[in-house]
Amino acid sequence: MTKKVLRTFQYIFLSICAFVSIFPFFWMIIAATNKSVDVTKGTLMPGSYFMENLKAVLSSDLQYTTAFKNSLIISVVTTILAMIVSSAAGYAFVIYRSKSRERVFNIILLSMMVPFAALMVPLFRLFSKFNSVPLLKTIALNTPGAVIVIGISTAFLIFFFRQNTESFPKELIEAARIDGVGELGIFFKIFMPTMKSTYAAAIIVTFMNSWNNYLWPLIALQSPERRTLPLVISAMGSSYTPDYGMMMTAVVLATVPTALIFFLMQKQFVAGMTGSVKG
Amino acid sequence: MKLKRLAAVLLAGTMLFGATATVSAEEKAADEITIWAWDEAFNIKAANVAKEMYAETNPDVEVNVVTMAQDDIVAKLNTSLASGSYEGLPDIVLIEDYRIQGYLNAYPDEFAVLSDIASPDEFAEYKTGVNQVDGKMYGIPFDSGVAAVFYRTDYIEEAGYTAEDMQDLTWDKYIEIGQAVQEKTGKYMLTLDPSDLGQIRMMLQSAGAWYTDAEGNVTIKDNQALKDAINTYKKIVDSGISKQVADWDQFVGAFNSGEVASVPTGCWISPSVLGAEDQSGKWAVAPFPRMAENEASVNASSIGGAGWYVLKNVGHEDAAKAFLKDTFASNVDLMNQLAVDINLVSTLKASSEAENYNKGVEFYGGQEIFKDFAEWTNEVPAVNYGEDTYAIEDIMTEVVQAIVGGADVDETLEMYQTQIEGAVAN
Repeated sequence: MTKKVLRTFQYIFLSICAFVSIFPFFWMIIAATNKSVDVTKGTLMPGSYFMENLKAVLSSDLQYTTAFKNSLIISVVTTILAMIVSSAAGYAFVIYRSKSRERVFNIILLSMMVPFAALMVPLFRLFSKFNSVPLLKTIALNTPGAVIVIGISTAFLIFFFRQNTESFPKELIEAARIDGVGELGIFFKIFMPTMKSTYAAAIIVTFMNSWNNYLWPLIALQSPERRTLPLVISAMGSSYTPDYGMMMTAVVLATVPTALIFFLMQKQFVAGMTGSVKG
Repeated sequence: MKLKRLAAVLLAGTMLFGATATVSAEEKAADEITIWAWDEAFNIKAANVAKEMYAETNPDVEVNVVTMAQDDIVAKLNTSLASGSYEGLPDIVLIEDYRIQGYLNAYPDEFAVLSDIASPDEFAEYKTGVNQVDGKMYGIPFDSGVAAVFYRTDYIEEAGYTAEDMQDLTWDKYIEIGQAVQEKTGKYMLTLDPSDLGQIRMMLQSAGAWYTDAEGNVTIKDNQALKDAINTYKKIVDSGISKQVADWDQFVGAFNSGEVASVPTGCWISPSVLGAEDQSGKWAVAPFPRMAENEASVNASSIGGAGWYVLKNVGHEDAAKAFLKDTFASNVDLMNQLAVDINLVSTLKASSEAENYNKGVEFYGGQEIFKDFAEWTNEVPAVNYGEDTYAIEDIMTEVVQAIVGGADVDETLEMYQTQIEGAVAN
């Protein structure tokens, strides 16, 4: 009897949690199909205004499609480079021995404790100097490079890969070395494929962070044609008379890539769970 | 190695992006000016109309108008000015009246003096109090934030009152009407958002007062106008005529869906009121109520509003000033056009002569709202907002809630005086 009561409470509690997390998405989709006035009136029924909202988004002076493209380029390049750089760092911290290894790692961890707001002004000054150095122009202010470079090696990712490399069977590496595979080959051909699930999780996190990143792109990217999606959506919301329908349509479109990445990676995530060392 | 090649291609790719980016930055012509503002449907549109008009006589000047959220503009100005890096900053930027004193005091050498292209007496008096330092004018006033009571004529009539009763209002009379409205129609008189002190701010300015005095000192304790304003606010809450809302969205929703009989706020709310097309002819506009117990209080106030400023170290100071001179600083035709396009109530005195200012608006029962707004704008008492309006309000929301909840006014204000002084000293 008590078991049944407990069950009921569990279900009620979980239903509330589910409702709270799903409702904003529901509201977002409803709002995207309605006129702004109806949204403020609090309608919860799907409307027929989606195409008009979509047209308003695409024809806006804010260059939504350009921003979408910028976001996509920045996020994809950041994610790919981050996977190579950060995982190599995490891998090296476990596999290769060195006296100062722990010290270096602690310094990297310490950098996680400094809030980004404190780094903002110095970083901005540094990047604004890059324009006068020929080779560094590619990552100077107002280029996608400036945003990408900040995202490719984060303390969190290195930490994440180091923790996961601990569980990587060292026997595999030894076996490969005996077979004459080079160190790079071991990393790319043996480590990477076996750690698929780790990479999948890291890709989801990195892509989402990069896609939603706001503060640094806001400061680093100046001209309107370089802006990323969060900046454009934020600009849409600052009107005295915001067009909620149009804004929510823009948000719905902006959610699509992260959702896609998540579902694509989820499959890999599960596939990676199957073991690597077979008898 | 396939992967090596892939990495190389990717790196080369990013370099290519970077290269094209720097080229476009260098191409910027000498007579190219950039303007930042934040509302696509309002000030951005205004800048674009001004740009078109200016292009007719100055085809060789290129004007870029960029939309950016107001908070983003603040963040970018702060980082760039603090680090002394002007790359990517605009030549002309719209800054809210409540914030501008902070910028002018913190970065006195960054803003261009505009005294040579405009004079304060061409604008509504209250707008030029905030954009001057030592008698020099740094900004061109833009929109009026003149306060008014937008009200539903049908609800007011049903409650037994007329448009006549809405003129020369005091807050006591307003509450009386509100109670009648509630009794007869079951509607609330207005919405209040406990996290937004806009009502208090408007009441303060109607009495020519603020949270700070003319020298910028915090005056919370012994501030009679503030005391009267908070007491009035408490009276409204206690009378039960207000519906509580939590954000902007609900605030707009309440009058769009006909839940409230009046909206006492800045004239810039008009486009949102117009949004509910089915209510056409049912609205009218009356002057803002005064506080009867405060002798200084008049039937005029303001909320919000902004002005155009020129950043002089970005590199196109002269072009930017020339642009403002021919547009927002003097052009009545532009103001006439903007009245129709974006419902702008200009603070340029000459614009009250404009044709569209003397036309009735059908939605408001044929009332000549622009003429009224322009008239009331000139009656708004001038107030120096100081540097810290928003910082002070962060704390004041607590104070007001405590007093509404029953705490003693004098005691509470005295208690918070030092705390607020400390908060703004940083």
